[in-house]
This record gives sequence, structure tokens and C-alpha cells, in this order.
Amino acid sequence: MLKKYLSSSIGKKQIVALTGLAMVLFLLAHLAGNLLIFKGADAYNAYAAALKEFGALLWVARLGLIAMFFIHFVFIFLLVKQNRQARGVQYSEPLHANTRSLSTKLMPVSGTILLAYIITHLMDFTFTHSNIANATVCGDYLGLYGLVVNHFSNPFGSLWYVIAMFAVGFHLTHAVQSVAQTFGWNNSKYTPFIKKTSVVVGIGIAAGFAAVPIYVFFLACGTSSCTLG
Amino acid sequence: MSNAAKKINLNLKVWRQKNAEDKGYFDVYKAEGIDQDASFLEMLDVVNEGLSKQGKDPIAFDHDCREGICGMCGAVVNGHAHGPKAKTTLCQLHMRTFSNGQTLVIEPFRSRALPVQKDLIVDRSAFDRVIASGGFISVRTGSVQDANNIPVEKKSADLAFDAASCIGCAACVAACPNASAMLFVSAKVSHLALLPQGQPERSRRVLGMVEQMDTEGFGNCSNEYQCEAACPKGISVQNIARMNRDYAHARFTSED
Amino acid sequence: MSKQLESHIPEGPVKDKWTKAKFENKLVNPANKRKFKVLVVGTGLAGASAAATLSELGYQVQSFCFQDSPRRAHSIAAQGGINAAKNYQGDGDSVHRLFYDTVKGGDFRSREANVHRLAEVSSNIVDQCVAQGVPFAREYGGLLDNRSFGGAQVSRTFYAKGQTGQQLLIGAYSALMKEVSTGSVELFTRREMLELVVIDGKARGIIVRNLITGGMETYMGDAVMLCTGGYGNVFYLSTNAMGSNVTATWRAHKKGAYFANPCYTQIHPTCIPVHGEYQSKLTLMSESLRNDGRVWVPEAKNDKRKASDIPEEERDYYLERKYPSFGNLVPRDIASRNAKYVCDEGKGVGATGLAVYLDFSDSIKRLGQKTIENRYGNLFDMYEQITGSSPYEEPMMIYPAVHYTMGGLWVDYNLMTSIPGLFCLGEANFSDHGANRLGASALMQGLSDGYFVAPYTLGNYLAQQDLAQVDATHPDAVKALSSAQERIDKLLAIKGERTVDDFHKELGLLLWDKCGMSRNEAGLKEALVKIPKIRDEFWENVNVMGSPGELNQTLEKAGRVADFLEFGELMVKDALERKESCGGHFREESQTEGGEALRDDENFAHVAAWEFNGVGEVPILHKEALIFENVALAQRSYK
Repeated sequence: MLKKYLSSSIGKKQIVALTGLAMVLFLLAHLAGNLLIFKGADAYNAYAAALKEFGALLWVARLGLIAMFFIHFVFIFLLVKQNRQARGVQYSEPLHANTRSLSTKLMPVSGTILLAYIITHLMDFTFTHSNIANATVCGDYLGLYGLVVNHFSNPFGSLWYVIAMFAVGFHLTHAVQSVAQTFGWNNSKYTPFIKKTSVVVGIGIAAGFAAVPIYVFFLACGTSSCTLG
Repeated sequence: MSNAAKKINLNLKVWRQKNAEDKGYFDVYKAEGIDQDASFLEMLDVVNEGLSKQGKDPIAFDHDCREGICGMCGAVVNGHAHGPKAKTTLCQLHMRTFSNGQTLVIEPFRSRALPVQKDLIVDRSAFDRVIASGGFISVRTGSVQDANNIPVEKKSADLAFDAASCIGCAACVAACPNASAMLFVSAKVSHLALLPQGQPERSRRVLGMVEQMDTEGFGNCSNEYQCEAACPKGISVQNIARMNRDYAHARFTSED
Repeated sequence: MSKQLESHIPEGPVKDKWTKAKFENKLVNPANKRKFKVLVVGTGLAGASAAATLSELGYQVQSFCFQDSPRRAHSIAAQGGINAAKNYQGDGDSVHRLFYDTVKGGDFRSREANVHRLAEVSSNIVDQCVAQGVPFAREYGGLLDNRSFGGAQVSRTFYAKGQTGQQLLIGAYSALMKEVSTGSVELFTRREMLELVVIDGKARGIIVRNLITGGMETYMGDAVMLCTGGYGNVFYLSTNAMGSNVTATWRAHKKGAYFANPCYTQIHPTCIPVHGEYQSKLTLMSESLRNDGRVWVPEAKNDKRKASDIPEEERDYYLERKYPSFGNLVPRDIASRNAKYVCDEGKGVGATGLAVYLDFSDSIKRLGQKTIENRYGNLFDMYEQITGSSPYEEPMMIYPAVHYTMGGLWVDYNLMTSIPGLFCLGEANFSDHGANRLGASALMQGLSDGYFVAPYTLGNYLAQQDLAQVDATHPDAVKALSSAQERIDKLLAIKGERTVDDFHKELGLLLWDKCGMSRNEAGLKEALVKIPKIRDEFWENVNVMGSPGELNQTLEKAGRVADFLEFGELMVKDALERKESCGGHFREESQTEGGEALRDDENFAHVAAWEFNGVGEVPILHKEALIFENVALAQRSYK
């Protein structure tokens, strides 16, 4: 049963939707944590420390998340591969698509950016531990908070992050309503609402995440970065 | 029938392909003195009449009823399945849609599951095989009850009709960036799923038809809704949602 | 070789005949049905329903169509609806009334027994279709809705917006595909029948051309059913699909099947008028439009004002004026002829003067635009798409066009032609509509023949046969194949100057002028002289491009036109022979003082069944007398 489901086009898409939805929920939680940076180093580091308290459980969550991501990616890969083959001979004139939204058109682009981003993100924050060298701001060791501030003080670090967050937002404006469609929740009554929600979630997540590096880069790292500490 | 029908000249770039094995190429033709009240297919008739007189092979294209219901005609014109006008089959597309001097690139519907047989003619037998995989209600002739013994809520009857108005032309496949047939299959699944008569076989039907659709080599739906925009009958993508739901439900609850 | 016409109508009162026939019919043992193979040509309502039902009964079935899918047959284009004597509206309908209306509507030129059977099974058809999931229009209570349609004074028409044909065909097609999935129907699409194989005087096979590869194929069986539709395209411009043709029935005719009443052609009153040289076909607007639309022309001749500028008192609602009790709902032939009269008088509208108005402004005022949109929305859209003018704002312009052909292969009560083993169903046969078909009766007849009649009568035939085993190597099959091949080679070898369409247009125009809405002796005789000349030139000067072994649409068309050129002559011959007016056949020599069709029951209450006697030779006429025991012969009056 599951084998047939997973080998069917609809089954694969629903797996993509399901894992996508899980990741959206993760992102919302992650965002809530990130926004603690506005409360200052103590609150932020306390949050990070609280997370660590979960210990093994945190690793279960992390592995779950990695699995979600991996499944999402693999199934998309399988679907896209079939889609590429399905056309056969290509059209000479590009298919007219004025009814396709930009976010829809750019799903592969935003998805690829995200993939690249996630790898760098894990290297930068998850697998890099804060130490004196990378988390000291103006002579104060500020733990994870310091690591973040230092990272975003670097214009490349911030820019890459902001670009990636726009990609996430873009991805989600299509994705959230797409999840609803794929699970079969499309109805004249509430679909307009779902579509709006999709846009709000996309913009909200992009803006929320991007606020951190922008804040750090322009305010925290400006003329008086040491006031932060 | 506008009082003074204008004549226009067009440049055509048309896909020519001798048969399924041939590689195919584009050829260029002039369509001159075309009456704007003529239909797109009548324009092709005029071009073909000219080609025949020059001893050249006319452009092969499928067509039959020429009133937008048989679903036989169809080509991609300048990147639009059935041409640029919404909710219109190629035979019902009139030349007043185009302007003098315009270049029209005319290509067959492209999909690996619907191979080209000649010029603009494609093989849509994949659709028949999808229907044969469950797109019916198994009732024997004569063994049925009185028609009014099966009341159907008007709303459902109307939605079923809307789904059933699909003419099977394959424009949805042609317009889909992934050459997916989800709109066609879902319209067929929905038509019967919405009616009480269709309930006994509801699970079996959706499982069979989706499986056949996948076997035929159509692409996967990525919710881009190009199919709905290209559909000459305006079939809604709500049907796709309904089929997604039905499919998952059937897969996990039925024993098939 | 002349055979006696034996209609095999059962004895007894008309209402018991079908029951009696079903009981007396010989049956094929269920276990033996598997041994018989039936070839069904055509997949419209008649063909698809017959193939599906025969397969359900256990026969092996092979089903053929020239389109790429069985679902595209031209039944799909029927808009208005299907009649059934259900009396769901409680307005006094009954089997007898439907029977009576159909006999009268056919102007007393159909067989009572056939028509009664049709009326009897009409209810079963609707039951069957609903069970298959045909989404008929419904009321809020969930029950089926009906409307009155085309000349009927009760509401007995079931409909699915303006797409009844497509919905019924999808029903029949899905039944067919259900049988395809079990493997008991074999489907052959893109195959055009070019010859009938007759062995020992019985139909045993067909020769088809594979339209994709160009290859000729032979299929053999124990019976053949032609469900190949009408011959309206002989007129070039008609509402038929471009591919509709007479080839299958004409080939059968040349092999010995009699052709009955070819002059009976229905000219539909509500079509979009002709507007240009390039025009390839005419588009029908369902006559259900006449339920709410009012037909009128300006009182004055050559009135070029816009419709809205013509005041009420300067309009002539000629149908309401001449036929107060039926008004705009008079039968098709009358509505068509009257449109022709007013246009001949110079009162026609539009650029060509060959159009009348069909005006919805009163109904929109009375019922509101929403209601009109619900009833006719898609028809209005279609009209606007074609003409660029909106019927919500301006009246539609309509003109009659060739639409349906009542004539066809002669069949007995069992739907068998004069060749044993060759059955003919649906529009392709002649039987049920007489000289004029009522609205919403074509779908009824196609499905009646296919679901409920032929499956019974075929068994009766097969049960009485002792058919020899034959295959494609039988000398008669080989001969049929080579004659079909020779004809194709001949067409391709001509390499003349004129295109196929050119000849088709010439023939069509001649027939429309001389054998169209109104006919007279001089004109018909003129056509009889001209048609052979066009035919001769065709065989010397037509240009058919390409080769036989490929997809070749010009070749397909050429073969069909070649047959129309032979058939057209028979049609005119029949029209000349029938010196009376009846239904769709209007002879100017035979009319009442009021200009209505005047029948001559004494001399012409018969079916004219023609036997082929060689191309260009005088065909042999056989007459089947029509006896009216239940409906008294009367002059039709819709005043």
C-alpha cells in the first residue's frame, strides 16, 4: 500500500507537501527563537542553553528535521526528473504563462538557493561552536549571541542570509497554498483565504528572519557596536 | 459577421513532421487575405488549399465538429494551447483575435505520453486507456432503477456537470510546464465522485485511473494552474484537489 | 436479384408488438454468445451503446471509428436534449403521446411499429443514462428537470445545459470503455471502413483503412453493425462534423443494402448564418432557444436599420402570426421554410439578407438575465465567439442549415438491412423519424437502437444461422480488399488540377439550390444532369496529394467526396420520384393554398427503398407501404 502510494505521482507530492509543512512549522519556531536577539545577549543565550538542555531529544528533533529535509528534497528530485522527461520534445516558443506567479516560476531557483544556504547555515551556526575567537564582541565573550553578531557584521554573511531568507519567503508564498491543494483542501469558500495566508506566511518568515542580520549589521555593528555588549 | 470584415496577412511558422519516427522541423508559410471572421482552422484550410495547388503536402491537423465540443482540434499557437483566447478551442478561435502582419508559431501539443503522429496531429489514446482503467460506473444495460429514484443535490449535480464538460482535448497537458494530465484525470474522477451513482466504485476508480495516468508517462502536478487557464471549458483545479484527497483516502482505506 | 421488402413487423396491436417480438425472438445460449463476433462500425450514441451492450451480453465485439477516440463521434455535438415519456412533470405525457407526436411530427412517413417501440424504450434510456452518471439538469429537490422542446406540447425533454449530446456520449463511451477494460471489446480507432465483405449473401466482414499507417486491414465476424451517422455533408456546408460521411453506408448500398428515403433531409431553423467563402461548416444553435426567443424580421423590405432601432409595430413576428397555437415552437421544417420565405421576400437581415432575428429581450425582461444565462449561457457564449456579437444585447441572427438526415439504409423491424447480417443503427438507418425528425429525438433513437433494440434482434438473427468459418483469406474478403485498394490508387493517380474541396463545394451548392429547403421538378432534373458531370470531372481532374501508405487527410476526404458524388445523384432521384411534399421534403408542385406541405397519401404513403444498379445507372425502386392503424392520417396543422 505504502509502496504504491509512494510510487504514485500524487503520493510523492503529498510527501513533499507533508515534509514541507513540517519544515514550515519548524521555521516558525526557529523564528520565534531568533527574534529573542532583540531582547539582548542574555535572553538569546538563555534560549540557546535551554534548547541544549533537551540533550538527546534535541538530536532526535534535529535528525527528524534532517530527515524531513532529505525526504522533501529526494521526492522533489524524483518528481522533477519525471517532469523533465514528460514533455519529450520541447516547445520552440516558450509556453505562455502570465497566470503563473513569480514565486511559482522561481520554485526551482528558490529551492536551490535554500539547499545551498542550509548547508552553509549548518556549518556557520549549528556545527560551529562559539569560542573566544569567534564570539567575542568588543572584548566581551557573548557565546552564541556573539557568534551571530560577528557573523552578521560581515557584509557577505548578512547579504547571503538576507538573500536566502527572501528565497524562503518566496518559496513559501507558493508552497503553503500548494500544500492545501495537494491535500485536497480547495474550495471556493476558503481557498482565497488560504492563498492570502500563504503570502502572509511567506512574507512574514522572510521579513522576520531577515530582520536579525539587518538589525545586527546596521544597528549593532554600526558606529557604536560595543554598546551592544 | 461584423459588417466590414477585414482581411489580414499573417506569417506562419508551422511544425512539420512526416510521421511518428520523423524528427520534424519548422516551415514558414504566408497566409494572405485571411478574413477576420474566419476561424483559425478555416485559416489553415485556406493555407492548405494554397499548398495543394502548389503541389505541396498540406498541413495535417486534427479537427472534426468545429464547434468546440468534440475535442479533436488543438495546437499551441505562440505558446498558448488553443491560441491566446481564454476558454476557446482552436476551431472557435476567430481570426479577429490576430492583427495584420503578425507571426504565428504553430506547434503540436507536446507530451511524451501524446506522441506526434504527423504535423500537428498527436496520439491521445493515453486518455482512452485512463478511462478504461476505471472512468465508468459499472451498470449493465437495462439493470437499473427509475431515474428519479436517485435524487442528486442540485449543487453536486452542477459540479458534476462542470467536471463532465471536459472535452478531452489535452490542452491541459500541453499547457502544463510538466506535461501533467491531472486536470483531465481529475475532471473525470470528480464527475463520478460527485454523484451518488459513482460512490460504489469511488476508491477503485481513483486508484486505477491515477495508476494508469502515471504509467502513461505524464508529468506531475506542481500546482501552477496553467491547465485551468488553458482549458477551453474552464475546468477548475478544484477537481485536482478533490482527486488528491480521494486518492490518499482510497489508498489508505481501501483494500485495492 | 431483386428481393421482396419484408419488414418483419410483428402481428398484433401496436403496443404489444415489441413485447411479442422480444418473446418470439430466438435466443443465443449465454455460453454460445462468446463464439460470435460482431463488428460495430462507428462509436456515436448508437455504435458505442450497441458495442457496450453486446459485450455485456457476452458477444465478442470489435468497435471501429475514424476519430482518434470513440468519444469524439458527432453525437457529441447535440445540444438540446433527449425525449422520454416519463411524465415526470405530470403534464399528461405518455408512451402513446410520444408515439403519436413522433408519427405526426414525421409527417406520416415512418413505421408506426418502430416509432411505438422507440417511445416505449425512451424511459429505459433515461434510467440507463442516469445510472451511468450522466449529469442531467436537476431541480432543487434533487429530481430531474425537463423542458419542452421543438414542437412538443409537454415537457418531456431531459437535458444537460447545452451539452446533452456530449454527456450522453460520454455515458455510452464510458460503458464502452468498461467493456474494453474487460477485454471483450477490442477498440480500433482511426480506422475508416471502405468496404463491406459479403459472403454467401451475408455480411461477414469489413475492410478498413488504418488512417495513421495507411495500411488496409480486414476484419471478419458473424455480423456487422453500421452506426455511421447521416449524410448531411453531401451539402458541403452543414452542421455535421467535418468527417461525417456516407462512405460506410454507401459501400454497403453498393453491396446490396437498399437505401431508403435519401431525399429526407432536415434543415434546422436555428443556425448561425453563412458569412464567407472560406466557410467550412455551419454552427447550430440549439432550437431550445426558440422556447424563450422570438423570431422576427422587419415588416419593410430591405430594412437596414439596427434591430434596436426598429420599433415593435414595424416588426413581423411571422411564426407567432401564422401559427398562433405553436408560435415559435413549430416543427423544424416549418420554421425553416418560413425563414426562407421571408428572406426570399427581401425581409432578411444581416449583411447577406439571409438571416432572421431570434430575440431574447422579452424573455430577459420577464425572467431576468440570470435565468436566461442559466438556460442558454453556453450557447450565447458560443454565438458571441463566432459572430462577435452578444445575444444579451442584440438579437441573434439565425438561418436554416442542413442538420440531420432522416433517410438511410433500409432496415426491417429488427434493424437489419436487406443484406442478412448487416444491421444499421441510429441516424444511418431510415426508420423512426419519417420525413421530419422532432427535436430531442435523435439522441433517443440512437440510444434506443444501440442499448435496447439491436442487442435483442441480433441474437434472433445469429440463433438462426449456421455460419461457415471464414477469415481474411476468403476470396470475397480478398476481393473486397483489393477493390478498396484499387480505388485509393486510382484517386492518387489522377493528379489533376482541382482540389477535393473544390468539387465538394460545387456539389454541395448545387444540392442546396436544387434539392434543399424547397425542390421542384425542373431543378431536380437539372441536378440529375449536372451531378454525373461533376463526378466525371472529379475522376479526371481531382488532385489528391501524397501517398497511400501514410496519414493522408486529402486522400480520406477524396474518398468521402467520391461517394457523395454517387450518393447525391440518388438523393436527387428520390426527391424527383416523390412528387408530394412531406416533412423536410418540400416539392413546390405540392402545397396547400397557405403554402404548407401537401402530402399525397394515396400515392406516396410508402418508404422508397432503392437498390443499387451500377454507378450512373438507374437504381431500382422498391416500395414498402406504410400502414397507419393507430394514428389517423391527417394534414399536419400547427396553426
